[in-house]
Amino acid sequence: MTVPAGVIPSTDESAELNQVVSEPHSRPPRRLGRTLVVGGLVLLICWTLLSPVLWTAMTVTKPTNIAFVNPPQFFYEPTFDAFVNLWQTTQFYSYLVNTLVVAVISTVFALLIGVPAAYALSRYPGWISTLLLVAALVFRALPRFAVVLPMYDISRALNIYDTTIAISAALVAINQPFSIWLLRNFFAEIPEQLDEAAMLDGCTRFQMLRRVMIPLMGPGILTAGIFMFLFAFQEYLTALVLTDVNARTVPVFIATQLGQTLPMLQQAGAASMILTLPVIAFAFIAQRYLVAGLSSGSVKG
Amino acid sequence: MRRREFAMLAGPSILVMAGLLLLPLYRTIQWSLQDVDYGSPGKFVGLDNYRQAFSDPRLADAVVFTVTLTLLVTAVLVVVGYLLAAFVNSLGRSKPYVLGLLLVPYVIPHIVGATMFSWLFNANYGGVVTYAIEKMTGIQVLWMTDTWPNRILIALNIIWSMLPFAMLIILAGLQGVSAEILEAAKMDGASPVRTHLSVIVPSIRGVLGFVALISIMDVVRTFDPLVPLSPQAVQLGNESIMLYIYNVAFRDGGQDLGLGSAINVLLILLIIVLLYPFIRGLAKEARMR
Repeated sequence: MTVPAGVIPSTDESAELNQVVSEPHSRPPRRLGRTLVVGGLVLLICWTLLSPVLWTAMTVTKPTNIAFVNPPQFFYEPTFDAFVNLWQTTQFYSYLVNTLVVAVISTVFALLIGVPAAYALSRYPGWISTLLLVAALVFRALPRFAVVLPMYDISRALNIYDTTIAISAALVAINQPFSIWLLRNFFAEIPEQLDEAAMLDGCTRFQMLRRVMIPLMGPGILTAGIFMFLFAFQEYLTALVLTDVNARTVPVFIATQLGQTLPMLQQAGAASMILTLPVIAFAFIAQRYLVAGLSSGSVKG
Repeated sequence: MRRREFAMLAGPSILVMAGLLLLPLYRTIQWSLQDVDYGSPGKFVGLDNYRQAFSDPRLADAVVFTVTLTLLVTAVLVVVGYLLAAFVNSLGRSKPYVLGLLLVPYVIPHIVGATMFSWLFNANYGGVVTYAIEKMTGIQVLWMTDTWPNRILIALNIIWSMLPFAMLIILAGLQGVSAEILEAAKMDGASPVRTHLSVIVPSIRGVLGFVALISIMDVVRTFDPLVPLSPQAVQLGNESIMLYIYNVAFRDGGQDLGLGSAINVLLILLIIVLLYPFIRGLAKEARMR
């Protein structure tokens, strides 16, 4: 809504209204004042919310001997020793690969089975759809331990404990309720006449889903995919229970470093920053699709 | 849609949920009635585990702590999330960049965010916030070892990590409010505050309910943030129900799987009670369609 002083776009009715009421001379300073206040507020909010990240970024670039001293040190020679240490003295590389593998596999499978299911739920009337939706809501709210502890027991019995397959499968199931719920709301926005038209033209239900629905659902599927990837990337509890050393993910690694001595603590900080930087880039790319995707009707409540 | 098509489309998803959610859940209920350990068949003991759970004051403490935390955080998320969303919505060209920055706390893994919080606050690690408070007031707040400061720290961390999501959902809702209604309110001479309270808030009621729903679901199950933020959770009385289950049934090869499972079942019942209004609403809406 910020309009440069002196330029009044004819399309903006409120600006015209303002123009009639207020003195032309008083406008530039008031605009400037408002911009400054809003800008200051933006800076303050962002700075407050990002301060934990900024402080950690400082902590991990300090020399190890002053990284955690009290009173805190604000001036120092930046160094990347903690990152070098992390890379050389721990298995961080394999933890990072595990984390990515789990996130990718579980996202792909969650969408592969979730998209058709969500479509079916949005089109099939009757009690079974209602039941499944309510079940999805309850499953979404299920305490992780109620399913993860039995999974631990079962995965040991099946000899797949401590593998990326086991965590990926667990996460597909745990995140399935949320993804079909989100996707169903997207599908519900697409009028059913479209299905019927395509099928009258000779498509089978499956061809229609592949050629008409899925392309139309681009933003919806992308939104669901972003959420699935994020959830898998962040998951701590499931990985904590289902992994030991071979399939350990970065969040579990960071938590195990916390009770340790200073160099290891700073390594945990370095690992945190390595995990944080890509998700920040991710946040910038994702925000466009998330707002567009969510406002196109998925959160009618 | 024919029944066969429905079965083929929804089948894989239903199978996965049945095999990997329903079956483990059944196991948990079974274990809750047994004296059992991992990898060995249990012995049926009836309701003994439940009796033990109810006679343990730790459970009562964990429930009070968790429910209070949930209600407080949910209220803050709805109110502050709304204010933040309204503010971001009024921004011009800078909106995408501000939104990207504000989303950062949400995308950071919870355990990492909580670790960052502990370093920001804990004086033992040169926490700069505690240092600043001490400089200004002369009081050194013991965030990790005093019960109430620790509670505030935990609540702040959870609000911090969930606020972007609340804001994002409410923002999406705000963009759906029709421009005509807003114009009409303006013509009628409604003040900005009045417009928000009587026009915008009622028209995005559903969205605010959705934020409350997600917040209740997630905060009741708080686990990750407590690991870095409250190493002494048990002594301080800041143990969440999930952490209690973990301590009883898994930590250091925790032996009491039966008791842990019983608490799991009780937690599920608590969640169903808290979500009952939402479940009823959803069932009603689905039936009406």
